[in-house]
Amino acid sequence: MKKILAIALVAFIAVFSVFAGGASEEAPSTLKIGFIGPLTGDNANYGIRCSNAARLAINEINAAGGVNGMQLELIAEDSQGSVDRAISSYEKLAYTDNVVAIIGPVFTSPALAVAQRCFEDGVVMISPSATHKDVTALGDWVYRTVPSDSLQSEVAAHYFYEVLGYRNIACLYAMNDYSQGLAEGVEDTFTSLGGTITSMQTCMVGDRDFRTQLGEIRATNPEAIYIPNYTVEDAQILEQASQLGMNIPFLSSDGFSDPEIYNLAGDFTDGVIYVGPAQAEASTILVDFQAAYSEAYNGDAPDSFATNSYDATYILRDALTRVFENGGDLADIDAFRASVNDEVKATDDFEGANGIINFAANGDMVASQGVYDVEGTTPVYVGSFQVVDNHIVQVD
Amino acid sequence: MNTLIQYLQYFLNGITLGAIYALIALGYTMVYGILKFINFAHGDILMIGAYTGLFTYLALLGESTNAAWMLISFFIAMLVSMVFCAVLGMFIEKIAYKPLRNANRLAPLLSAIGVSFILSNGAAWMFGTQSRRFPYPFDDTPIVIAGLSITPHQILTIVVSIIMMIVLTSFVNKTRMGKAMRATSLDQPTSELMGIDVNRVISMTFAIGSALAAVGGILASFDFRVYASMGTMTGLKAFVAAVIGGIGNIQGAMLGGIILGILESVGAPLLGIPSALRDTIAFATLIIILLVKPDGILGKNEREKV
Amino acid sequence: MLNFFQLIIIYAGIYALMAIGQNCITGNTGMLSLCHAGFFCIGSYATGIICKILGLSFWISLPVAALCSAVVGFLIGVPTLRLKGDYLCIATLGLGEIIRNIATNMNPVGMMSIPRAELFGYQFSSRNKVTFIILVWAFVLVAYFIFRQLAHSRIGRAMTAVREDEVAAQSNGINVATYKIGAFTLGAAIGGTAGCFATAYTLTVQPSSYTFMVSVMVLCMVVLGGMGNLKGVIVGAFIIEFIQYFPQLVGLSSVIPAQATQIIYGLCLVILMIWRPQGILGRDKYRYGDPRSTKEKFISYFKREGKKGGKV
Repeated sequence: MKKILAIALVAFIAVFSVFAGGASEEAPSTLKIGFIGPLTGDNANYGIRCSNAARLAINEINAAGGVNGMQLELIAEDSQGSVDRAISSYEKLAYTDNVVAIIGPVFTSPALAVAQRCFEDGVVMISPSATHKDVTALGDWVYRTVPSDSLQSEVAAHYFYEVLGYRNIACLYAMNDYSQGLAEGVEDTFTSLGGTITSMQTCMVGDRDFRTQLGEIRATNPEAIYIPNYTVEDAQILEQASQLGMNIPFLSSDGFSDPEIYNLAGDFTDGVIYVGPAQAEASTILVDFQAAYSEAYNGDAPDSFATNSYDATYILRDALTRVFENGGDLADIDAFRASVNDEVKATDDFEGANGIINFAANGDMVASQGVYDVEGTTPVYVGSFQVVDNHIVQVD
Repeated sequence: MNTLIQYLQYFLNGITLGAIYALIALGYTMVYGILKFINFAHGDILMIGAYTGLFTYLALLGESTNAAWMLISFFIAMLVSMVFCAVLGMFIEKIAYKPLRNANRLAPLLSAIGVSFILSNGAAWMFGTQSRRFPYPFDDTPIVIAGLSITPHQILTIVVSIIMMIVLTSFVNKTRMGKAMRATSLDQPTSELMGIDVNRVISMTFAIGSALAAVGGILASFDFRVYASMGTMTGLKAFVAAVIGGIGNIQGAMLGGIILGILESVGAPLLGIPSALRDTIAFATLIIILLVKPDGILGKNEREKV
Repeated sequence: MLNFFQLIIIYAGIYALMAIGQNCITGNTGMLSLCHAGFFCIGSYATGIICKILGLSFWISLPVAALCSAVVGFLIGVPTLRLKGDYLCIATLGLGEIIRNIATNMNPVGMMSIPRAELFGYQFSSRNKVTFIILVWAFVLVAYFIFRQLAHSRIGRAMTAVREDEVAAQSNGINVATYKIGAFTLGAAIGGTAGCFATAYTLTVQPSSYTFMVSVMVLCMVVLGGMGNLKGVIVGAFIIEFIQYFPQLVGLSSVIPAQATQIIYGLCLVILMIWRPQGILGRDKYRYGDPRSTKEKFISYFKREGKKGGKV
């Protein structure tokens, strides 16, 4: 028994080594783009959607002839949401695969660790969903196609206060970088406008019981509750609030753009207002993308982070095209990566699925924010907004 | 007065949450009581049970909206899931734990962790990583009495966990198989000499434990949703519940579950600290309870003898 | 590929330190503890705070991280004296979770841009992995020799006595409490050191990294290598890390589904455990008062190895 097991184990490793040996002999005619995100574990859904969207974009680009006659290849690595794995994924992509740029990491914590390495080694990184303000604090090399949480929360707080006219709201947020950043951003802006946050309730990611927090919030009698969390938490909060007989409007963030919420809590989403990515009105890119995505992935619908990932891939495509036009040479990978950085930075009015995208000097996305009003289980686009001179302005 | 109602509501929430923990803890305690072995994969069997139940239920239901058929297919789904998990549990025991029965106590623990990895990632691979909703097979409008609200599925969870506790207690104490289980738990070699088929007893233990996990998984998925990693944290909490009550003790698992649920619900507002610290409260209480009663609340105090 | 292999060696070194600490608690003294992630967390935070916020050198943070963890280890050791077996396991697991929960509540983002370790103006950067490997494994060696001497000293024998039979140990005049708490303190200290190196390598501290799965993995390393066998636990640490990163090493991770790599990992654990339940190297074969000379022991060691090789 033991012998057989031992032999099986050895054979197992041997077979995989051969398999891998075959896989590592790539034709030199591909341009490799790395992806880092959680593909297993609790939040794998976000990573898988983002990598699917990037892969979809790359397939489209390849079908259209690639870049400079070269095919693109996406190499997706699993970060499992942990720093160790994110770093090891980065090392694999940057040194073993010699990628030209990286899309991801999806979450802030690994993004902070990887951003530092990208900055030191000179690799472009475009995160589709790491919202924390510190991600782009290092400056060069690090970009994102998602608004920083300070930008989103500023628009959100102004919208709640000025347009919706709320004066007392409560927050229920998870203790993670994303939700905390948004909740505290809204708290700051909302209070500075003269509103009151009646209660700031916290939970942990992965919690499934929010009835205590909702009870505490109910006791402070707010006009609305702001829930900037991941999909599953938001779905639980909506349902449990209804079970407790609470009839209070809910406000949310771009985490709510995940259509999964309507499967999980479709009966309770009516009337939720959330701030998400802006949409370019005249363009059909978003609609086309959504259709292509659900066709390619068994009817699954993309969330806003997947859309960001799609945009990031096209931004990279444009940047790579320009690098080749300026005589970029893959033989010197460091110089090539540096020119990719220059070209990504030079992105000018890129028209993506999420409207017109530009990068600020620190690599943050500059864009207006969209507001959505959910009717039943369909989000209705209200318009895109910006905060100008401490007042909210509708852009279109 | 208002705050009193509020706290009563938290208390009620705690009991309903605790009933889920208790239900899962029963399975843990069952296996531990007989084999003195922490089945780390129990949480993942629970997840498999929830998926099996969900798919069977959806397949049986089809397009039908008939209330009676919904209930019937729910109970059929639960039975199918129990049987499936029982078989799965026995299979896992044969493959991963049986060869290690005479090894040191930590070897099966590791093997169980391996199994847990395989199950949770296998499920994520096959069923995808998104959470799924288990539709209520009955009208789940909350019942409000004197300002306190409770939903039918929560009542169902409480009732089922009490029934399971009673059935399990009488099974272990009254039946021949139960007697064999208790004998195996006390002294494996001797019971073998007395003509008890230890292999069968252990298989049976795993089958029952896993079937309980399936029930727990399905009832938990009303409140927790169905997703591939649902077993990890739920399983851990249930295990803590089993230990609080005194692991190996069936009533203890029930008591431990309810205590844990109430602590999580009432603890944070009572102490006036953020709710995100509720795990700290739960685990700190666990440690305090263990320090006062090192074998759990209802655990037998086994003093070491020379 | 070589670069990635170096990374695995660094990670293995960091986890080997943790495993040595866990071995002191579980392997030598026989207490089933599951809070090494907590010690790891405290060591990492201590390093982060000292290097980033106080702006002091890595070399100061190293003993401070060990000391902080040791204090926590001591505090955990005292009350848990009453607990045995699985109850101890759960109590320590709870403490590990409490540490993580509090760290997350303090700041879910953690710390970033922590300055690097420096020695005489030389920076231990993640680009120069070889020097980092030397740094980490030098400490693994130091820890190995310290703990080996310890295990073979009067203290180590007392610990073994406590593991084998508490009552008998007590009646032979061994103060069980002292040795249990001592083992916890020492094991925690070395776990804190591991946290310190991890921070120096990743330059970030994030509370989400210290889940109870980390503790479980460290325990796996000890059981897999052979409980109480120091060489074994280092081998165990290397094997676990190697299995974990093997798909990325050979470029398999992007070819097969991400879950499959995890499934392979789980399979390897089950197979390895069934294959050698006593651990790869088994328990330490050291006999007290072995009459043979060092040379004889050396020769017999290789002879034994040779036989084993023939068997497989």
